[in-house]
Amino acid sequence: MTPALWKSAVNALLEANLQLTRGSFTLDVQLTLVPGEVLALLGPNGSGKSTVLDLLAGLATPSSGTVSLDGATLVAPGRFVAPEKRAIGLLGQEPLLFPHLSARANVAFALHVGEAQLPTAQAQKQADRWLDRVGLQGFGDRKPGALSGGQQQRVALARALAAGPRVLLLDEPMAALDAETAPFMRQLIREQLAETGTSAIIVTHDIVDAVVLADRVAVLHNGALIDEGATAEVLAAPRNPFVAALAGVNLVVGTAQNGAIVAPDGRIFWVRPTDADLTQATPAAAVFRPASVVVQTERPRNASPRNVWSARVTGIEPGNGGVRLRTSGDPEIIAELTPAAVADLGLQLGSPVWLSVKATDVSAYRR
Amino acid sequence: MIPRLLYLPASIGLALLVLPLAALLVKVDWPGLPALLLSPEALQPLGLSLATASVSTVLCLLLGVPLAVVIARSRPRTAGLLRALVTVPLVLPPLVGGIALLSLLGRGGVLGSTLELAGLRIPFTTAAVVIAQTFVALPFLVIAVEGALRTAGIRYERVAATLGAGRGTVFARITLPLVAPGLLAGTVLSFARALGEFGATALFAGNQAGVTRTMPLAIYTAFNGSGVTTDQAVALSLLLIAVAVIILVLVGTRRASVLS
Repeated sequence: MTPALWKSAVNALLEANLQLTRGSFTLDVQLTLVPGEVLALLGPNGSGKSTVLDLLAGLATPSSGTVSLDGATLVAPGRFVAPEKRAIGLLGQEPLLFPHLSARANVAFALHVGEAQLPTAQAQKQADRWLDRVGLQGFGDRKPGALSGGQQQRVALARALAAGPRVLLLDEPMAALDAETAPFMRQLIREQLAETGTSAIIVTHDIVDAVVLADRVAVLHNGALIDEGATAEVLAAPRNPFVAALAGVNLVVGTAQNGAIVAPDGRIFWVRPTDADLTQATPAAAVFRPASVVVQTERPRNASPRNVWSARVTGIEPGNGGVRLRTSGDPEIIAELTPAAVADLGLQLGSPVWLSVKATDVSAYRR
Repeated sequence: MIPRLLYLPASIGLALLVLPLAALLVKVDWPGLPALLLSPEALQPLGLSLATASVSTVLCLLLGVPLAVVIARSRPRTAGLLRALVTVPLVLPPLVGGIALLSLLGRGGVLGSTLELAGLRIPFTTAAVVIAQTFVALPFLVIAVEGALRTAGIRYERVAATLGAGRGTVFARITLPLVAPGLLAGTVLSFARALGEFGATALFAGNQAGVTRTMPLAIYTAFNGSGVTTDQAVALSLLLIAVAVIILVLVGTRRASVLS
């Protein structure tokens, strides 16, 4: 049985078959989400990712198609359930906190009108607990204007989850955050989705979002899904230029051990110190750029890079800034060199090489 | 960076607005003022003006806010048409408004004759004053609130809907608070417009003391009636200015506290 068939055999939480025509743009997408699953929807600008989310949330009407959630039909010919009756939440790039309400009142609003339907007083109390969960104890009285962008987005996450959605749609939730805040937000989303058992679809440009958050990846291009599968598989064997460009990084999906990440073939990757706790044997991923990989023909004597291993050249291809060198191993590691360096080293298919990467060039993520 | 040349027309413009009011203060018979202001000829129109303008403003809110929502959330072409219809009374001379109201509700008017059969006579009653004031003041409220609604956009409303809030809840708890500054500005404008309304009232409601003689009509009567002294008219004008200033100050402080 193929995975797709198996998934529809298990009761799907969300099943969508959506068509939309807008001028010359046509969208035709089939999506399935099983309970507790997180799906990353990747795709270039204009591919229709956000439109898919709007259609699922009920903020746009498809030309034709069906959407069902947990057996209930939300969209079908002659049927359109309003957004407020769908229990499908949406967290976008911008927090869009209600500016006239405090952080607490924003969350309490969701508890009051959402699944919980709490009376106002109880909603206020519960809202403080939600703010605690996103690390904002004591910020309840602040108006959105008195919070940083990252804090606002954390309140928005608390508010979205407090409404108790069956599915949470995330539309590039880290895109408007600065580079220091984004990783924290990403981990928070990961934790909170896991803790609440919320199923989610995340639209993103960032491979790290897919690696950290998603179980499965679907690639949207010109309004159609062109690739779909488990995150590591899709990214390891990109079937189209967009994913290849997106996946233009080395991705080692393995297990955390003593602050390092162990690859499936046993290689150990030391990483830059991060907030991610890598002492437990949990699934984790190491990500580094091909340009960070140093290629030598002899074992490097200078011991400063902590990651050193030997491999064979399995492919030599033109790359963005020079030559992409594929090397053996599971996963295969790609190095990027100048054509001159390739010639100097006399590299050919099958050449034995020593590869090294500084630990400070390797980012680590818990999955 | 202001081009120096602009200071001259700017000063003339300011002088044009301020000098007449300053001159009015000079003309006021200050010793006789308390007696003039406390006379029934002054207090009765003031009471009627405040009462009718308040009722008109409430009517403007009840009718204008929904109208503004409909316009703001309509398709562009529909919205443009509705906005034009709402703006016409704004640019019309109020006298024309008075004639138009008479044509509709007056004796032998399109609706007036039917109402008369039912025993209802609207022209030359206090109700006519309220209708005339609402007619001229409503566009101010609609335009102000509609502008605020369009600026606020529908993004917050969409978020509220995805959280599970129904349309009524979204309107009451999200939309209205978001446009509160525009709502406040619109309310003040329409109250001020209702308070100063003269032309449509004079034609449609007449000038009957205690029934339809509001402040502007009382000022006109005092100025025109005796021909001996304009003291009463000046005193009443001063009173109207004072009321307007008090409202602006009250709203100003309230607005400041909302923003802080």
